[in-house]
Amino acid sequence: MSTPTIAVAPLSTVETPSRRKRKQPLRSALIFLSMVLIAIVMLYPFYFMVDTSLQSNDQFLHGGGHSLDSWSSLNSALPWGRQMVNSGIVCAFAIVVILIVSSLAGFSFAKLQFRMSTFVLLGVVAAMLIPVQSIIIPVYVNVAHLHLLNTYVGAVIVYAALGTPFATFLMTAYYRSIPDDVIEAGIIDGLSYSKVFLRVALPLSVPALITITVLQFIQIWDDLLVGLLFLQNPEQRTITVALGALAAGRTTDVPVLMAGSIMSAVPAIAVYLVFQRFLINGLTAGIGK
Amino acid sequence: MSSAVVVPESGAAATPPRPRKSAIKRRRARSGVVMAAPAVVLVLLVLGIPIMQAGYYSMTEWNGIVAHWIGPSTYLNEFHNPQFWRVLLNNFLLLFAVPIAVAIPLGIAFLLNERVAGWQIFRSIYFLPTAISWVVIGMVALRFFAGEGTLNKMLAGVGLGFIKTDMLSDEHQALVAVGITFIWSMVGTNTVIFLTGMATLDPSLAEAARVDGAGSWKTLRHISLPQLKRFIQFAAVLTLISAFTALFSLIFVMTGGGPGYGTTTLEFFVYQSAFARAAFGTGAMLGIILFVIMVFVGLAQLRLLRTED
Repeated sequence: MSTPTIAVAPLSTVETPSRRKRKQPLRSALIFLSMVLIAIVMLYPFYFMVDTSLQSNDQFLHGGGHSLDSWSSLNSALPWGRQMVNSGIVCAFAIVVILIVSSLAGFSFAKLQFRMSTFVLLGVVAAMLIPVQSIIIPVYVNVAHLHLLNTYVGAVIVYAALGTPFATFLMTAYYRSIPDDVIEAGIIDGLSYSKVFLRVALPLSVPALITITVLQFIQIWDDLLVGLLFLQNPEQRTITVALGALAAGRTTDVPVLMAGSIMSAVPAIAVYLVFQRFLINGLTAGIGK
Repeated sequence: MSSAVVVPESGAAATPPRPRKSAIKRRRARSGVVMAAPAVVLVLLVLGIPIMQAGYYSMTEWNGIVAHWIGPSTYLNEFHNPQFWRVLLNNFLLLFAVPIAVAIPLGIAFLLNERVAGWQIFRSIYFLPTAISWVVIGMVALRFFAGEGTLNKMLAGVGLGFIKTDMLSDEHQALVAVGITFIWSMVGTNTVIFLTGMATLDPSLAEAARVDGAGSWKTLRHISLPQLKRFIQFAAVLTLISAFTALFSLIFVMTGGGPGYGTTTLEFFVYQSAFARAAFGTGAMLGIILFVIMVFVGLAQLRLLRTED
């Protein structure tokens, strides 16, 4: 039970010894071929997006030719610059809130046991079982009562709360993997618990913080439901919500939609490419024992 | 990506008592309460209290402003509503996508785990859709399955043009199209879960089996798969949770729940009831039913993990 719960997958380091496939070039070629075929299936939507965005609506409907029409009319259909800024604002503030509350709580649950702290942790983690749809209506009404509908603050609070249970679970597991002695040494040196947290524990937990940031960035950036309900003004809409609204508006200009999709996907893909390893760690964090 | 439901490591919090001054202990406990408070308050305000509110409002007639108390009979009324069962049937049918969404990535992971040249690049490619919004995936899928879409072009291309499909316009086939899109979307996530699992396998076991003359299939069936059981369960639960609670955007963009109620699942029904029909009480009730289902899934997962220890 004392082992860290975060299964840091040694994905590239494990090199299984004595692979007997060494002398089977045909087998390897077949496997390679299958992997290429699967890659085509997985990459097809990206090809479709790029290819379609490089056509005018007329070219898309009647086949043939390429043009930059959809890209030049993209901004008027989907003011993506403003919307990306909106997405960025909402993501940034929500993630900052999640990082602060989950690292504090994780440290507390792991190292500063108070009465019923296990019980409280269980309650926070159990909140992961609550589907967004089950609470979205009361939350919507509550936020409306507080006059926070269509404000960044309202959306940020909702996103932050939705991300907190899993983040707290992750941080608690991470801090448990740090030996108690490290913390106690700080206390004996005369530091307060908050100082030990800031100077000792927090710097040690940077990998876990990055994992949470990456997971939450992709989750919030890609979210539709919360944004759709809590940010209804076009001025505050996030890029994903704007795209969803445009698509649901039965827009027939598919190339423009695809150009917008590409724009909306670029930041998430960039984050994915840079922080892939952290994303995988976060994903598999729940399995470790 | 929806966050996975995981089992907390309860019990580990009990540190052995140490000879310490109680003053220090009290100071530590006080710091603990203060530091845990922000997260607890946030979760309580936005998740804990609202789920109780939803429980209350589920027994009322509520338009978002005024709520009339009716009582538990609201549930009985809903159980007499054929649309409710139609929607629940859709959720049930989505269950059939789960084993497929687990089996395909399991196969892919075995392929990748052969570590043929370039496997890491392929892993990245397969995992890439994880970064993409369901909104975008849904938009592409919509065009893929459309009457003039890629699927029909492909069928025509291989001489099967007579099978002209228009799945999304058919009340029964539309859910199949949504299911296929869902399975595609889960490939990356589940493949990575299995790869992680395979990295933990003890290669000497499989090696020993081979030396003893077991064929590839037997080794896989009796050595590798049992060792991966925990990962398969995790992937299955994650996939099930996603199928029931993460498909809102996909359905919103692909079908809007239609044709008819063809692709309305419980989570989408919540949204429709509350925000399209202003039946907030009904929406709250459907949300509670969904919550109860997820609690059962969570408890089942706990049991599975328990029995294994």
